Amino acid sequence: MASAIAGRSGRAAVTALQAALAVAVLLGTWEILVRVYEIPIWLVPKPSDFLARLYTDAALIAYHAAATSWTILLGFLLGVLVAVPLALAIVSFGALERGLYPLIVFLNIMPKTVVGPIFVVWFGIGPLVSVFLVFLMCFFPVMVDSMSGFRAVDRRLFYITRSMGATRWQEFRHLRLPAAMGPIYAGMKIGIVKAIEGVIIAEFIASQAGLGYLIMRASGFMDLTLMFAALVATALVALLFNAVLTGGERLLLPWARHLQR
Amino acid sequence: MSRGASIKVRGLCKTYGSGARAVHALGPIDFDVAAGEFVSLIGPSGCGKSTTMLLVAGLEPITAGRVEIDGRPLTEPLSDVGIVFQDHLLLEFRTALGNVMLQQQIRRLDRDEQRARAAELFSRLGLAGAEDRYPWQLSGGMRQRVSIARALVHDPSMLLMDEPFGALDAITRTQIRHDLELLWLDTRKTVLFITHSIDEAIGLSDRVLVMSPGPGRIVEEIPIDLPRPRPAHLGDHPEFARYARRIYDIFENLGIYRFHRDRP
Repeated sequence: MASAIAGRSGRAAVTALQAALAVAVLLGTWEILVRVYEIPIWLVPKPSDFLARLYTDAALIAYHAAATSWTILLGFLLGVLVAVPLALAIVSFGALERGLYPLIVFLNIMPKTVVGPIFVVWFGIGPLVSVFLVFLMCFFPVMVDSMSGFRAVDRRLFYITRSMGATRWQEFRHLRLPAAMGPIYAGMKIGIVKAIEGVIIAEFIASQAGLGYLIMRASGFMDLTLMFAALVATALVALLFNAVLTGGERLLLPWARHLQR
Repeated sequence: MSRGASIKVRGLCKTYGSGARAVHALGPIDFDVAAGEFVSLIGPSGCGKSTTMLLVAGLEPITAGRVEIDGRPLTEPLSDVGIVFQDHLLLEFRTALGNVMLQQQIRRLDRDEQRARAAELFSRLGLAGAEDRYPWQLSGGMRQRVSIARALVHDPSMLLMDEPFGALDAITRTQIRHDLELLWLDTRKTVLFITHSIDEAIGLSDRVLVMSPGPGRIVEEIPIDLPRPRPAHLGDHPEFARYARRIYDIFENLGIYRFHRDRP
């Protein structure tokens, strides 16, 4: 067992090393090409330029990264908190499924970013627009996967719990909810990717803080190194959220370990 | 230890749907199972075996007729019972022991006592050491053993089994059949066992009820008078061959089997 764990973390270390190596090769090639062909910094900055910017402008970038992270967190939590109970309600009541579900599907087909300008009119320039857009982006994948999760329980399992004399609450608590956890979590993992996409677009159009805002502002000044630095910061924020979700999965869904490898 | 309960079934019918699209699936059927008796229902697919089991468990509404358990008419889902289906139907998010302890949690039974009973069942069913494994880490046979433990841990007076070994390979099936027989000999719970397998029916039962489809009826009742525990290789037993032949003949007479005897 101990050797298996050591083997796994060893393998993880090798994988991380390979990834780091690939990034280093990419950035190195980039650096060399830009230097050799003397491409001006306002057209394509060198990795050394924008990585340095991450350091010299650390406070500025951290401030906007924090704003973006906060927006993602709020919008995402709101999305999950609405999507999961709504999914349960839709699965439980046929009328809701027939009435509400088609509407939600229609709303989802519509590109969510187009409602951004409408939100600007309603809520003004500010974090609320971004939070709502993030909410919209991650809401649907979480809801669809939650619905399939709440449906996934084999009917005959309810025979067994009913013969145990289970109340509806016990059925939910011991059967439906834990059975749906895997799909809900899968939906959340898709949702967080959508949320990060949504937050940057929202910050492009309607905000005074956040990495999307920083990128737009830097674009106005043709400050490409700052734009690239903010881009790297965005990727780091995305990585952080993914890491938290992946880590949480091991904690919350220990039975699904074979699916997580 | 709770002893077996008796089952009395009279004029039992089940119709699914209503009006022009109603399907008369079962009955009327009559049968009795004595306290502590092991009775099998055998028949082809669609003969209403599983429906009969669900009606006896009070899990589906009865269309006509009645079911009595220990002389009391059944009006709600039977609680003093353990149920095993063909697929193990374990909760994938619980360990083997966690699945068995579901009984204790839902029924709010004494935790320590149920744990002790679970431990005993695990050792009797050859599951010792598998307590903390998740269903995906167990073989098909072990999963089915866990679901048998789940059906027995609260010491019910009746065990209902719907093709419990149907999804297992022949070798595993022989072993688990033998283990179930020994467990039953010690506890003498009333068992209603549903199967496709003539071997299983004869190998386990005190009595076999043969069913025919469309709508499901009981066409023959065959008491199995063989010594217990019964051997794994039943074929050696001349009596076994006689019983098996009888069931084959019934199925052939019903047109369920079509043997081409006149072919060269």
